[in-house]
Amino acid sequence: MSSVPAPARRLESAVSVCLLAILFLVAVCVLLKQGDVDMSRFGTDPVAAGVVGAKPPALTGQGELFVGPLLPEGFKKLSESEFYNPENLYEKIDGKASLYTESGFEKLLTQRFAGTQDEDLWMELFIYDMANLRNAFSVYSRQKRADVEVLPDAQFAYRTGNGLYFVHGRYYVELVGSSESAELLGAMSQAAEQIRTKLAVGKDEQITELTFFPQEGLVAGSNRLYLASAFGFKDLTDIFTAGYELRGETITAFIGRRLDANDAQKLAESYYRFLIENGGAAKPTANVSLKSWQGRVVDFYGTTEIVFTVGPFVAGIHEADNRQAAEELAAALGHKLSKVAEAVRND
Amino acid sequence: MIEANGEKIGRRKLLMRVGKAGAAIGACGLASYLLYDPTGPEARSETIELATLPDFSVPREAGQTISIVQGQDRVKTVDKAIELLGGIERFVKPGDVVAIKPNVAFASPPILGATANPQLVAEVVRLCYSGGKAKKVIVTDNPINDPTSCFTLSGVGKAASEAGAEVVLPKPHLFRRTTLAEGKLIRDWPVFFGPFERADKLIGIAPVKNHHRAGASMSMKNWYGLLGGRRNIFHQDINTIIAELSMMVKPTLVILDGTEVMMTNGPTGGSVSDLRRANTLIASTDCVAADSYGATLLDLKVSDLPYLAQAEKAGAGTTDYESLKPARATIG
Repeated sequence: MSSVPAPARRLESAVSVCLLAILFLVAVCVLLKQGDVDMSRFGTDPVAAGVVGAKPPALTGQGELFVGPLLPEGFKKLSESEFYNPENLYEKIDGKASLYTESGFEKLLTQRFAGTQDEDLWMELFIYDMANLRNAFSVYSRQKRADVEVLPDAQFAYRTGNGLYFVHGRYYVELVGSSESAELLGAMSQAAEQIRTKLAVGKDEQITELTFFPQEGLVAGSNRLYLASAFGFKDLTDIFTAGYELRGETITAFIGRRLDANDAQKLAESYYRFLIENGGAAKPTANVSLKSWQGRVVDFYGTTEIVFTVGPFVAGIHEADNRQAAEELAAALGHKLSKVAEAVRND
Repeated sequence: MIEANGEKIGRRKLLMRVGKAGAAIGACGLASYLLYDPTGPEARSETIELATLPDFSVPREAGQTISIVQGQDRVKTVDKAIELLGGIERFVKPGDVVAIKPNVAFASPPILGATANPQLVAEVVRLCYSGGKAKKVIVTDNPINDPTSCFTLSGVGKAASEAGAEVVLPKPHLFRRTTLAEGKLIRDWPVFFGPFERADKLIGIAPVKNHHRAGASMSMKNWYGLLGGRRNIFHQDINTIIAELSMMVKPTLVILDGTEVMMTNGPTGGSVSDLRRANTLIASTDCVAADSYGATLLDLKVSDLPYLAQAEKAGAGTTDYESLKPARATIG
């Protein structure tokens, strides 16, 4: 008979079992990790070079990407679908990958289709899953080409001579053709329609900030969304911009929403300091409205920068050549934001 | 009788326990003996042979370092640009094996301007054979996308083959590790070396493109294609890696195609709307000078592309291309 009391023995046994279980888990983890080693990460495996794409990750559940059913009439598959994730997106788009990965990118599906009669007539589909509408709009807007045909089919859509580009909920979609061909553009429209019909997304998603810009002089479709480091300033995140044609020049206005007025003022102040520290010179303003919003006007190497706050909004003008036009637009923007802020307060 | 912890153990039980313990110790010893590796894992050899790219450059000649030709037809402008530098005979000698490294980074159509123009590549191949009397011309790249698709869909593979070149796609055995003596990033890194091992001359052909990360992709960035492994990690220090590439690769000649310039959304582009016709083609024995001029086609200054100054400081060339007195011409 043991001299150790029974409860103590049970405790010792329990501790022993726990320790053994931990050791077993450690061993399993080591084995798994060892089997997953990627020597190319250390620059020692040249085989990694030239390897395209990745094994398709399991894409299941809501928002699953698909390709099969959207084959346009008169077209056939030219390549199998390829999938990319944030780790290997660079294998597909090289230096442009960071634009996506810094904007919430989750996965990309690509596939090429060629005409059944003419294989030189081909197009490539890119469906970027950007996790939400704002992210998708950001990459769409920052790549939007000038002089495009805006399409009414979707909230954000346009086409160029050889491509069709649009946002569908959380997805940013590109259809890029091998040539400027009406036949290709027609097929792209078909494919786009199928994507919009069959690829499920959340309903009624809106980007409300886009409605906060004054309409007078606004260049249609000129909105951009910078999720990070707008105008080279790292703290200027989630910034919407809009282009205006005023007095024969293009002026950029911007808006960012913060948690509260205090937060907005802090950001405006730090952005102002950033401009001054980088060579800007403070300029007085006679604009009464701007003064009331603690507006700051800065001459930045011959262009005008303005920053001010209205309630939780930080707003301003970026790189305007005409200071007077810039101040007028800033005032109009401020008045519009005042109404929005008022409505927010009343809510 | 033995008493331990108050437990009485008989002789039989004691012998059994001693036997079990002995067997366990013996089994451990046997297992250790069987698993014992007297040599141990092989340490990585410090004397491993690192490959070094040959110096393909030709002697400099005053007034014939860089040429800038205006014109829409790439075949005509490249002919003229090379002629202004002394003709292809200056660069390619009879019997030479010439490696041409076009930018074929993407499986995208020529219309997008993301890759070297196929007609331009074909014309350079033709010049090497006809004027330079080359024994063999190799056209090769290590694309970021699937190599076969890149060479097929860009049109470069077909154009080069039809002009008589041997198209070489990257294979694992063609990579070797290299270290750039003065390099910070290129240290014991796999490089697409094989096709250049047997070459006498090296010609780079690159389009002028906007680049989201680097600001611009031109003749120096074109050498990025020689890097193997997970080369995207270099994007974290893109200026240094491009400068180091300009030190690592000493080409015979570079051809920078600014006939159509990708002004936005580079390096892949994706629309003809990203392109602007600049009708300019540059040939140079100095990558830094070529790219410094190329920057102007993108409405950029030399100071906008820090890697240019870094490369100049490292002795890879000059950003002051005007000091080289560029030979200029316009093709109607």
